[in-house]
Amino acid sequence: MFGNHSGTKEKMRIIIVGCGRVGATIVEQLSKEGNDITIIDKDAEVVSSLTNLYDVLGVVGNGATYSVQMEAGIRNANLFIAVTESDELNLLCCTVAKRVSNCSAIARVRTPEYSQEASYLKEKLGLAMIINPDLEASKEIAQILALPSALEVNSFAHGQAELIKYKVPADSMLNDLAIMNLGKTVSQQVLICAIEREGEVYIPSGNFVIKEGDIITFVATRKQARKFFIALGTKVKRVHNTMIIGGGKTSQYLAEQLLLAGINVKIIEKKKKRCEELSALLPKAIIINGDGTNEDLLREEGIETIESFVPLTGIDEENIMLTMYARQVSKAKVITKINHINFKKVINSLDLGSVIYPRYLTSEAIVAYARAKKDSLGSNIETLYHLFDSRVEAIEFVVRPDSKVINIPLMELSLKKNLLIAFINRSGSIIIPTGQDCICSGDTVMIVTTHTGFNDINDILE
Amino acid sequence: MNFSMIRYILGWVLKLEGLFLLLPCLTALIYKEQQGFVYLAVAAFCVFIGQLMSFCKPKSNVFYLKEGCVATSLSWILMSIFGCLPFVFTGEIPSFTDALFETISGFTTTGASILSDVEAVSHCSTLWRCFTHWIGGMGVLVFLLAIIPMSGGSHINLMKAESPGPSVGKIVPKIKQTARILYLIYILLSILQLVLLLLGGMPFFEALNTTFATAGTGGFGIKNDSFTSYSPYLQWVTAIFMLLFSFNFNVFYLLLLRNFKKAFSNEEVRWFLLIVLVAVSIITANIYEVSGNLFKALTDATFQVASLISSTGFASANFDLWPEICKTTLIIIMFIGACAGSTGGGLKVSRFIIMVKSVIRECYSYIHPKSIRKLQLDGKDVEDETVRAVGVYVLTFLLIYGLSLFCLSFDKHSFTTNFTAVLATFNNIGPGLDAVGPTCNFGFFSDFSKYVLMFDMLAGRLELFPLLILFHHGTWNGIFRKRK
Repeated sequence: MFGNHSGTKEKMRIIIVGCGRVGATIVEQLSKEGNDITIIDKDAEVVSSLTNLYDVLGVVGNGATYSVQMEAGIRNANLFIAVTESDELNLLCCTVAKRVSNCSAIARVRTPEYSQEASYLKEKLGLAMIINPDLEASKEIAQILALPSALEVNSFAHGQAELIKYKVPADSMLNDLAIMNLGKTVSQQVLICAIEREGEVYIPSGNFVIKEGDIITFVATRKQARKFFIALGTKVKRVHNTMIIGGGKTSQYLAEQLLLAGINVKIIEKKKKRCEELSALLPKAIIINGDGTNEDLLREEGIETIESFVPLTGIDEENIMLTMYARQVSKAKVITKINHINFKKVINSLDLGSVIYPRYLTSEAIVAYARAKKDSLGSNIETLYHLFDSRVEAIEFVVRPDSKVINIPLMELSLKKNLLIAFINRSGSIIIPTGQDCICSGDTVMIVTTHTGFNDINDILE
Repeated sequence: MNFSMIRYILGWVLKLEGLFLLLPCLTALIYKEQQGFVYLAVAAFCVFIGQLMSFCKPKSNVFYLKEGCVATSLSWILMSIFGCLPFVFTGEIPSFTDALFETISGFTTTGASILSDVEAVSHCSTLWRCFTHWIGGMGVLVFLLAIIPMSGGSHINLMKAESPGPSVGKIVPKIKQTARILYLIYILLSILQLVLLLLGGMPFFEALNTTFATAGTGGFGIKNDSFTSYSPYLQWVTAIFMLLFSFNFNVFYLLLLRNFKKAFSNEEVRWFLLIVLVAVSIITANIYEVSGNLFKALTDATFQVASLISSTGFASANFDLWPEICKTTLIIIMFIGACAGSTGGGLKVSRFIIMVKSVIRECYSYIHPKSIRKLQLDGKDVEDETVRAVGVYVLTFLLIYGLSLFCLSFDKHSFTTNFTAVLATFNNIGPGLDAVGPTCNFGFFSDFSKYVLMFDMLAGRLELFPLLILFHHGTWNGIFRKRK
């Protein structure tokens, strides 16, 4: 009964250096999944507040030093994550850790100069992953701007399939439509996998009736999704111009991507020096030196006629205010970045439209990696997204030949409740499955579920 | 306040107590004693009430420090009330106050008894008395954490409230594993002692009870003369184990991990051993003339020092008759107590070190008024918050001490009696000097004084504040408003 430390089920031993916003979010997510976590931070107060909240061990000290890492048990660790404020420190932490033990190391690197060399650094330093929340956030924003009707776009199967969140407007033909009739009236190539109504999230069955104001999440290929929107009479064209408030790293990444796609970009930044830097880095963009929270300046720069508006200041409250203002004076597509504040219920009730949480993007990527690593046979999880405040998980699995689910028609599998097989990706073509379809070995399969902690495709069975 | 969560935890504590009560039942079966039925009935009653209380799971898992403290204090009070029922119903300790005193003295590992003739008690009651030490030593809530699946990290608050020491930490990331490792070390050490005692020719029943009483650093004797009549071998074994059980348990974990260097460099344990060494030398030198034999003097001195500094309270000699300097030395080490993170009581060596170091720092700050100096313990900075908390702890300790002394003075006993009675209960030691000396008992106090001493025992074991917040009106704010 006592003392069987190792346990029968292999647990992940994870060390996290740096307990800032991202660090705390990762601790929250990974400790929920039952891993053994040790946190390291220089600030004793931060460490003690986290150890009081979660079942983790705290070590106070500099995470880049050998002695502190030894105290945190680096020799037995499986995963080492460095998410301190400083990129250089993160890389140093990982380098030291890799010398001592055989763990996988993940570093957060945000500086654009390093980020360009991410793959080189990753290879030479032997890192498992380099994460860049700003870059991830900008990618996500760019994806939404490419399909402005959607609230959120996540891509699966290397971009073949998309998971799209969409709010049903008042005059939509989806109103009062049962999901089983969707194929007859609108499109067969679309699968609705989750619906949020009045704060509750449902994994819908065929008789579920869609109502006005529901937020639906559906899976489709890129092409089919556009067809679906055309059938609904919604805009599908990407935006032509964008106004970005704040000239931080995310803005820089975003502007690079948008300019590449031929979208005109206007950036409003307060600091003269940064403006000069940006204009050198992004010669095609219009850089305005001024206070982005100034109403007159926004009007002067044409907020009323702009097609999309992205407030990316460092202060969340400002971003929210700017979003609300933009929605009042213009018809622009607005995407709000929220980095810090936690009042998710309040934010949801404000009806801001698309909201991006960079810290969740980072923690999702790490949780997906940790879960995949947990499986002793090697990587099984391809991608993982948390939807509706982590109440729903969308996970993409690679199916291996020894799986219990293969070559059985889906209708004959006894699946867990509140779970849906959203698509099967068979050598590049996306299949929206029916009851007769089978999962084959080598497929990748996407599961949408309200359960948490799935590691393996076999977990979907009862 | 999350009262439903507290109710749930209390329910589980009662169920566990019911389980623990089966051990005396088993003893009664072996010795064919009638009292066993009483134990069985009380056990069933505990499980029944516990099941009622923990039947519905609490809706909310929210659990903060105040809930941890309230749950811990109430568990200990409830456990003591239910644990004293067998003594009352078997008629061995007919007065409820006396029975409660005996049980609290057991659970808090004090070892102060109101019984004048412990050899007259039935086997099953003797075992229950000693077994309460073993349960109370490591703590019942730590045991609960080790076996019951509880989600969330905030349950560290339960452990914080129950475990002794100025700063309670985990030794591995999971609280459940931590609790299991602590109990594993506890059980292993207990078994080792039991085997060594048996090798020394002690009968099994006596060896088992002695082990329970030593492991919890309790000190209920099973003989009227405590340890006087045992052989020097048994006295040495027990003395060494009393010292071992007052080490910081993290040291044993490091030894299990074969990290010897770190284990032996633990500053608190080094200070502890130094204090023991000094005390033993002083006493040996001063009782050498009386005993006339160096080995006898050394044995007696070591046993008494180990017994009192670990807050166990066994006696192998009547130290009340020793020279004044020996008695004073013993009183001082009674105040200092064992290491943090052990099963022992007292102010704890780590608090003592922090206090000594902050006195030195204060002197230094008079020489260099603008200097900034961090206190260090074990090569690590001690947060100013911890230093402050230690100061407040010592102050509160002295305040309660004074108040208790005043309450006891109504009984018209000598000052030495009252002073050492409070000392012996508050630090969970057991015997004091004069009328509460090693050959005497606490039976002669008035009921009022007994309740004061019971409070002291609980406050000492739970390190003051978890118990004190029960008396703060802010704790109970929610409960009345809800009823309206």
